[in-house]
Amino acid sequence: MNKNRIYPTYFVFGALLLYTVLFVLPSLTGLGYSFTDWSVYSDEIHFIGLENFATVFSSDYNYTRMLANTIRFTLVTTVVKNAVGLALAVLLTKKVKLLNFHRAVMYLPCVLSALIVGMIFKSVLNPKIGLLNTFLRRIGLGFLASNWLTDSKIAFRSVMAVDIWKGMGYIMTILIAGIMSIPQTYYEAASIDGGNAWQCFRHITLPLLVPTLTVTTVLNVIYGLKVFDMVYSLTNGGPGFATEVMYTGVYKEFGLGRYAVGTTLSTVMTLVMLVAGYFMIKHMVKGDGQEI
Amino acid sequence: MKKMLALALALMMLLGAAAVAHADEGVTITYMASQDWVQDAEMELAEKFTEQTGIKVDFQIIPSDQYTNLLNSKLNSGECPDLFGSQAGKTDIVTLLNVEKNAVDLSGEAWAATVDPLAAAETSVNGKLYGQPAQDVSAVWAIAYNKKVFEKLNLKVPTNYEEFKAVCEAIKADGMIPIYEAVADGWHHQLWFCELGVAIEHDEPGTADKLNSNAMKFADSATAKKLIEQIKEMVDLGYWGDNYMANEYADAARAIAEGECAMTVANQGFPTDLNAAYPEFPAEDIGFFVMPLCDNQVLNMNPVGPTRFIYSGSKNIDAAKQYLAFLAEPENIQYQIEKVGKFNTLPFTTAKDAYSDDISAFYAAYPEHGTVYQTAVNYVNPQWMEIGKFLVEVLQGDSTAEGMLKYIDLNRESQAKAAQDPAWN
Repeated sequence: MNKNRIYPTYFVFGALLLYTVLFVLPSLTGLGYSFTDWSVYSDEIHFIGLENFATVFSSDYNYTRMLANTIRFTLVTTVVKNAVGLALAVLLTKKVKLLNFHRAVMYLPCVLSALIVGMIFKSVLNPKIGLLNTFLRRIGLGFLASNWLTDSKIAFRSVMAVDIWKGMGYIMTILIAGIMSIPQTYYEAASIDGGNAWQCFRHITLPLLVPTLTVTTVLNVIYGLKVFDMVYSLTNGGPGFATEVMYTGVYKEFGLGRYAVGTTLSTVMTLVMLVAGYFMIKHMVKGDGQEI
Repeated sequence: MKKMLALALALMMLLGAAAVAHADEGVTITYMASQDWVQDAEMELAEKFTEQTGIKVDFQIIPSDQYTNLLNSKLNSGECPDLFGSQAGKTDIVTLLNVEKNAVDLSGEAWAATVDPLAAAETSVNGKLYGQPAQDVSAVWAIAYNKKVFEKLNLKVPTNYEEFKAVCEAIKADGMIPIYEAVADGWHHQLWFCELGVAIEHDEPGTADKLNSNAMKFADSATAKKLIEQIKEMVDLGYWGDNYMANEYADAARAIAEGECAMTVANQGFPTDLNAAYPEFPAEDIGFFVMPLCDNQVLNMNPVGPTRFIYSGSKNIDAAKQYLAFLAEPENIQYQIEKVGKFNTLPFTTAKDAYSDDISAFYAAYPEHGTVYQTAVNYVNPQWMEIGKFLVEVLQGDSTAEGMLKYIDLNRESQAKAAQDPAWN
């Protein structure tokens, strides 16, 4: 097959049309609506300039807190999932007994729906009758029993921990594939030169895993910025507003019929994702861009 | 030939009539409602309705903390079930539900004339009735207390906040949690604030009117601030126990029956429900008094309750109307009153009430009546769950009473402006 064959430009029209109709136009329409007073309360829609954006960024409301929570969730879960996923991947590419069983067990949580995981952990983390606190009390560590999902000081950490538990197996799987693609000869050469396990990890595994880690980071950042179902099912944004994220806010605004504010929140998130994407591409992709 | 033709026509008429009689068979109407809004008695009646008409009723019960958002999302996206439940309220059904667009006018139904006039006013817009009351609206949310505990500790029904605190202290000293408060559901704990709008009105007469005409804000009310501070004080003093955030209303009866707690905020059906679940606990052992925060002694009335509406976009409007007509038949209304513990009556002129002497005495003990603020003040009920969330922020020390009142004012302003309320535009 001739790899240099040039296809006519109009071949792209079909895909472009679908992309325009299903993505570009709704996005632009959403952007337009963020400058209006569109709501369930009135049939008329008026242009109101940047008023919705002023509302979203006003300290009087909770939207900035939702944005901060979303960013915090993204940063923490991305870093921890990558770190734990990497540790698991390194461990589970060694010669250990029941290797596939361990891999399957670690991967299992990510095949469950976030809503199901949320409902299970809502029960597990119940302060009175939950499995975790009951277990802690039984083993004499009752002082560690907490209001995991109902104390505003720790609820968000609990949500992030559950999400990390659910997502780390997925990251581990991608990183295992990355590690297994590293030629064994590098490790053999290092071994002959007297390199220990840490040096092999530091100077062979980690540098050669950077492209894979770039992929997992991008996936985690996108997932984190869009998080909704895990928060919704575990805490519904509570206690109070302690765990509200941007998309629980969008959902609530639409539910309350304040469509314009809802689309404004979506627009803000699109901008955040664009900025995050720009920096990730700028700093993670080098040379000919082969790392993504 | 003519005879044959006549016979054929008669046969066709009979077949046609039979077809009409069974036209609704196979129809299933969907009914979406919040948790606790559909009683077992209604489900039993629905089965009877199916036997009579062939129309099935599919109940979709949604957790209460998710219901308002889900209902509004479904209404706004045009994907609502045939019947939906919602709180009534003459302002809310316009601003929040837009019933003139989203619900079917039921004024022409035979049962419409039997709806209690006060309840009908809260489900009507421009003289047209859009909803059918689903629950007893005569009951009030008050403090249900275990009389035996009060007798044992020689306690009297408190008539002001200081006496109430003394009662709570005595119960706490005896090793019980004074109050079972269900915060986890998201809808219950704000009753302490919204129901006690009657105390605000008592201390600062005319506040509801001023709030509705935008001549005043909640943040301007010293009584409203004091209310929130006293709710927080109850929590700080441990009157709600340590696990109040995880408490669910469905567990309130158990907490009282097992002696874990001595009081809870409930309506007058609570003793019957408690006795049904725990037969060893007599219903007569539960007494009531009004929530005495801010020294309140006014009975908090609310003519608004969960109401059934038919979605205007439904393809089964006639079947849904038949169902509502069936539920409103006098014997079926009476069946619900008899079977549902928390119903002492239903807001229909055909209903015969079942008040016990105790409950009648409780109502009689508070001659001054007021309307709760989620009904008396516009744009409060639509933010019911948000008020609950903000109250939790206050209880956990993440915000203040002033912050909560300011937030309620902001939300009211936002809704009023969107609704193009003349008082705000």
